[in-house]
Amino acid sequence: MQVEMLLPRQRMIALEELHSLLTGTIAAEPFHESIVDVSIDFSQRIFHDSEARGHPELLALAYWMRKAEMIRLTAQFRSLQLDHRVLTPRGLVFHLPPRNVDTIFVYSWLLAALTGNRSVVRLSPQRSESTSILLRLLRESLAAAAEPSSGGTTIVSYGHEAEPTEMLSALCDARVIWGGDQTVEIIRRSPLPPHAKEITFPDRYSLSAIRADSYKDLPAEKRNYLADQFFNDSFWFDQLACSSPRLVVWCGTGSETRAASADFFRRVAACVERRRYVLPAAASMQKLVYTCSAIINSPVEECRRYKGLTILTLDSLVGFQRSHPGSGLFFEVYLESLLDLTTFLGRRDQTLTWFGFTPDELYALVRRLNGRAIDRIVPIGQALQFHRFWDGYDLLQEFCRCVYIESTFLDVRPTHTNAPGRS
Amino acid sequence: MTFDALIQRPQYSIPQAEKEAVLLAELTRLSQSHRERSPEYARLTRVLFPGSADPHNLAELSYLPVALFKEHFLSSIPESEIFKILQSSGTTGQTPSRVVLDRETAQLQTLALSRIMTSVLGPNRLPMILVETTDLIRDRRQFNARAAGLLGMLNFGRNHFYALDTNLELLLPELKDFLHRFGGEPFLIFGFTFLVWTRFYQALVDSGLDLSNGILVHSGGWKKLQEQAVSAAEFRAALRKAMGLTRVYNFYGMVEQVGSVFLEGDDGYLYPPNFADVIVRDPYTFEEVPHGQTGVLEVLSALPRSYPGHCLLTEDLGVVHAVDSSACGRFGKAFSVLGRIPQAELRGCSDVIDAKVS
Repeated sequence: MQVEMLLPRQRMIALEELHSLLTGTIAAEPFHESIVDVSIDFSQRIFHDSEARGHPELLALAYWMRKAEMIRLTAQFRSLQLDHRVLTPRGLVFHLPPRNVDTIFVYSWLLAALTGNRSVVRLSPQRSESTSILLRLLRESLAAAAEPSSGGTTIVSYGHEAEPTEMLSALCDARVIWGGDQTVEIIRRSPLPPHAKEITFPDRYSLSAIRADSYKDLPAEKRNYLADQFFNDSFWFDQLACSSPRLVVWCGTGSETRAASADFFRRVAACVERRRYVLPAAASMQKLVYTCSAIINSPVEECRRYKGLTILTLDSLVGFQRSHPGSGLFFEVYLESLLDLTTFLGRRDQTLTWFGFTPDELYALVRRLNGRAIDRIVPIGQALQFHRFWDGYDLLQEFCRCVYIESTFLDVRPTHTNAPGRS
Repeated sequence: MTFDALIQRPQYSIPQAEKEAVLLAELTRLSQSHRERSPEYARLTRVLFPGSADPHNLAELSYLPVALFKEHFLSSIPESEIFKILQSSGTTGQTPSRVVLDRETAQLQTLALSRIMTSVLGPNRLPMILVETTDLIRDRRQFNARAAGLLGMLNFGRNHFYALDTNLELLLPELKDFLHRFGGEPFLIFGFTFLVWTRFYQALVDSGLDLSNGILVHSGGWKKLQEQAVSAAEFRAALRKAMGLTRVYNFYGMVEQVGSVFLEGDDGYLYPPNFADVIVRDPYTFEEVPHGQTGVLEVLSALPRSYPGHCLLTEDLGVVHAVDSSACGRFGKAFSVLGRIPQAELRGCSDVIDAKVS
């Protein structure tokens, strides 16, 4: 069978040919100058592209790939190579990014490429405008790149067929599955070579926590800024990105938390209006149906509806189900302290975005959870900011094998000689 | 004026303002009664529409999205009073709606449908062609909304003739016999829009048969016909040209409001009967939009007593063209249904490969 190849060149390619193409190349040295240059060049191309300008998520990606960040990342990688350890590429990484968060495939690919790996990326045949922009610019960047980074990246596109997935899985040294529980389950039916590693990104849930007394102390302009940041975290991907908050936890006394919530969500609503966020009609209807079901099924005591924004106030988190329609709907709950969340949080909970807590409070929560939940704690505004630390993984490390070297040769002494101190 | 008057007065004869006043009182009373008898409805309206107990116009009445009947069994009657549970046919893979009826609501539905249909069929039962196969109602396991709709219509005809065989092919000789016996006087044809077009019209288009005494009542939506690029106007024009069929009435209705159907006037627009109405809302703000503007249709009906389905937001797009100014003498809102809200894809982390487990 044939699949569509999108990169290095756009054409149909038979699986056999793809197979030999992928077995033909070799891995590069991690953080080779040429790949760092590709990243910086790609970033520049996005910044200067007139089409990309209308997509804030592309600009965020470009910002993450810029020179200063690459210098920082290179240094971080060097610091991982401590005594007796050399981090080497795994070889060929097979990426299965999610269909609808357009930028993920670049983050996934770039971290693998920076660490010297070759990559093959599978994209869905249904591609958004921003994905097409990224493909066009990446093709240009790689065409202009120096060896060895000009090769080593292949992007293909196919539908639900198992055959290409089977072939690529059998060939790769690491497989990265984004896209939730169901995708992980389906892809796992295609076996990996015994030595290969798998990194999975299953369905996740994320939430925000705000300390009401800290919020109360903010002047109006800072409250607006916080609302704006919260909007970015939530609405860029219709609140369906796994790190976008869906539940807001207010910590403090009863009256303080309620006042803070009322004030905050009024500002978020104003932001939704100002940014002209519009939902497709079908999603808006689905949101209404979901709201009704939630009111019947959960202890929802109040519902506030603004244009494009719905807030459902929960009496308590007991028995709360994490299903969610996305598209600008928030549950909220009032608690006394952050630690009151401990029993509620679980394995699915990924990112906690916060405002107003002390470092001690945040560290205390993580220690109390002790690995049961939460992989990221970042300030409100950074929910979507991609990082090498994601979903509990350090991707820089995950894309490498760790070779242990003992370079001191210990002299072999004849067994009959008396060892010192033994006499 | 009372609810009984709405039912009994000739349909489509009440000016909008007068009708709204009566409907508002009736529907407010219904909301109150459902709140008292359905805890789910009481909770929903309290949380979702605080302060809606005293609405000033029809648009202020609390409404439920129709899809809620798929996820929840919403009832305003004790189990002992259940007369029948209606189930929507539901496309494959979809959960069907469940609508609970008591005897009173079921009777009201029958009466209401009769008041609507006799307004175009006249008071007497007519010889009737069903563009259907008898299998549809014979197989009780598949007894669905389509079959229920058919049974509801049987009452308006006599000498019923099922015009399709088990393979949905037209029984042409038998049809000719029927026309020979009854074709000289008014007769009724009933069927689902898609079957009427593909199995009846397309089989007869070159037959030269004269159906000019026929009155066609059809329903079931335009989705499948839109795929074949047939509009409502083309449908009417084609039937007129091929077989002289000029009295063609589409109707719009749903299992969640049986009996309360919106029948086409001679001008091709749909009209609410006296005891029902439509409101067009913005799908984003849910505010009522001005007439002439497209939005989501809300359907209101004074019939549902046993379940809180008197004000329902549908998943169909529609537009109100005019009020009290129809060319065919009907009062009230003249509107069209423009089909389902188009499905849109949201973004998000899930779903690298569609959940099609093959």
